[in-house]
Amino acid sequence: MPITKQDVELAGKLAKMHISPEESDMYEAQLKELFNWVQELSAINTDNVKLTNVNQAAHIRPDVPTCNENLAAQLRAEFANQAQDCAKVKKVL
Amino acid sequence: MMTVSEIIKVISNGEKTAEQITRESLAVIAQKNPEINAFVEVFEQDALAQAKAVDEKRARGEKLGALAGVPVAIKDNILYKGHKATCCSKMLANYVAPYTSTVVEKLLAADAVIIGRTNMDEFAMGSSNQTSVYGPVKNPVDTERVPGGSSGGSAAAVAAGMVPLALGTDTGGSVRQPASFCGIVGVKPGYGRISRYGIVAFASSADQVGVLAANVADAALCLEVISGKDVHDSTSLEAPVPAYTKAFTPDLKGLKVGLPKGFLDGLYEDIKERLLAAAEELKKLGAEVIDVDVPYAKYSAPVYYIVTSAEASSNLGRFDGIRYGYSAQNAPDLNAYYEDSRALFGVEVKKRIIIGTYALTSKRYEECFLKAMKVRELIRQDFKKVFEQVDVLLTPTSPTTAFRLGKNGKNPISLYLADLYTCPGNIGGLAGINVPFGLDKKGLPVGVQFYGPILQEEKILNAAHCLETRV
Repeated sequence: MPITKQDVELAGKLAKMHISPEESDMYEAQLKELFNWVQELSAINTDNVKLTNVNQAAHIRPDVPTCNENLAAQLRAEFANQAQDCAKVKKVL
Repeated sequence: MMTVSEIIKVISNGEKTAEQITRESLAVIAQKNPEINAFVEVFEQDALAQAKAVDEKRARGEKLGALAGVPVAIKDNILYKGHKATCCSKMLANYVAPYTSTVVEKLLAADAVIIGRTNMDEFAMGSSNQTSVYGPVKNPVDTERVPGGSSGGSAAAVAAGMVPLALGTDTGGSVRQPASFCGIVGVKPGYGRISRYGIVAFASSADQVGVLAANVADAALCLEVISGKDVHDSTSLEAPVPAYTKAFTPDLKGLKVGLPKGFLDGLYEDIKERLLAAAEELKKLGAEVIDVDVPYAKYSAPVYYIVTSAEASSNLGRFDGIRYGYSAQNAPDLNAYYEDSRALFGVEVKKRIIIGTYALTSKRYEECFLKAMKVRELIRQDFKKVFEQVDVLLTPTSPTTAFRLGKNGKNPISLYLADLYTCPGNIGGLAGINVPFGLDKKGLPVGVQFYGPILQEEKILNAAHCLETRV
């Protein structure tokens, strides 16, 4: 899986993160080395491997949805500045 | 600095007050921290107020908590309401915790004194504490060397005698490896033993809080205090927490210790010598030491870097300048706003986000991320099988002793291999502990590591406790 500068730039774009041309050069070189190393995984036969997300299911609480009826009020209380059912937040643009 | 048990004793019998102990800790920090750089902030006023509250409680004749008056440092990614938690990153330079993590709540409920927040690799990504925005931490054993990472500040604070206990987090070895470099004890319990509520997430399937201490008994007591099910963390496990310190035995008769064959290949000679010496001591203590094979464990490091980077790329998505983190100024549109805000991440953090994002692209998902997840499953099965044969595993903690500041900084693979023996524990969700076991030829601390299955921390603590008496 050869890594190119375009791959690095694509990843930066997908991650919504500005990467300078100097950083791009550096990451390209480092990622090439890293993914060459990771390549050793491809030799392992994983055809019959099934993924288990939880390996201690017996100790995890039952996944029962609960409703917090006070949530809206609790969230509103976090905002000091409110008017007409709206909360004032910082200006972004 | 006195040990935790000594502090508890002198406070309970009235020889010293908690305030005196706290002032002693603050004095050592004031003296040593300018050089070591272990603490990025000391909560002097709060700590003294907590200590005075402990003294008042004692004066009223009330029962004191298990860590009454013990100064504890917390890593800078652990939330404590009203205090900064910056992950040693410019991104969170002004972030003040709006609530307290469960581990800190438990420490406070046990009457511990939270003394300050410690330096770390930015967002816990690193093995040498050289990626912190606050500058590197120096190893108290040799100040020209790194303390390890990412909990390097917590390890150095304990090793320098500033505090008897510190909390760190361990995603690939970030408690155990710095403990090894600094010559102290570092324990990471199995996944789910300690709540992650209020810990800034790096890789959620591997992150665990751990304890750094001068000896095993102190670490065990702190682990006992902070472990347990938490309604705020659905991955915390519903299981009773044993009294770890009461499970210590004078010998290890009946204990089966596995020595994984592959872990010795190519190992630095001094460390190999100490590891084999540790195995001999375990035999003298009555344990049976046998060779075992965990064939897929050698793939843990590449699996770790794909899986944890992928999780990091998702977890760190929240630092967009709106929900969390630095907000860019004068951006022309929303995309530019995100990109400019997120440009504040440091070099290593950006790199891991890029690795993770790339591994999750549709083009690479199957051959990178899915492949790594499947190999992770094979590694887990390996460990499951081996723990049917033995009670604990004995391995090196780190392939090297502490290296010089500035070294290993350019080559990513060499730094990533620093986690070679510790990341299998996170990939497999195991409990692991570093216990110091002598020095290398340069006089630097060498640590050895015990691994045990999830929810059986008492086995590794007991083995480490017995072994530390034989150093």
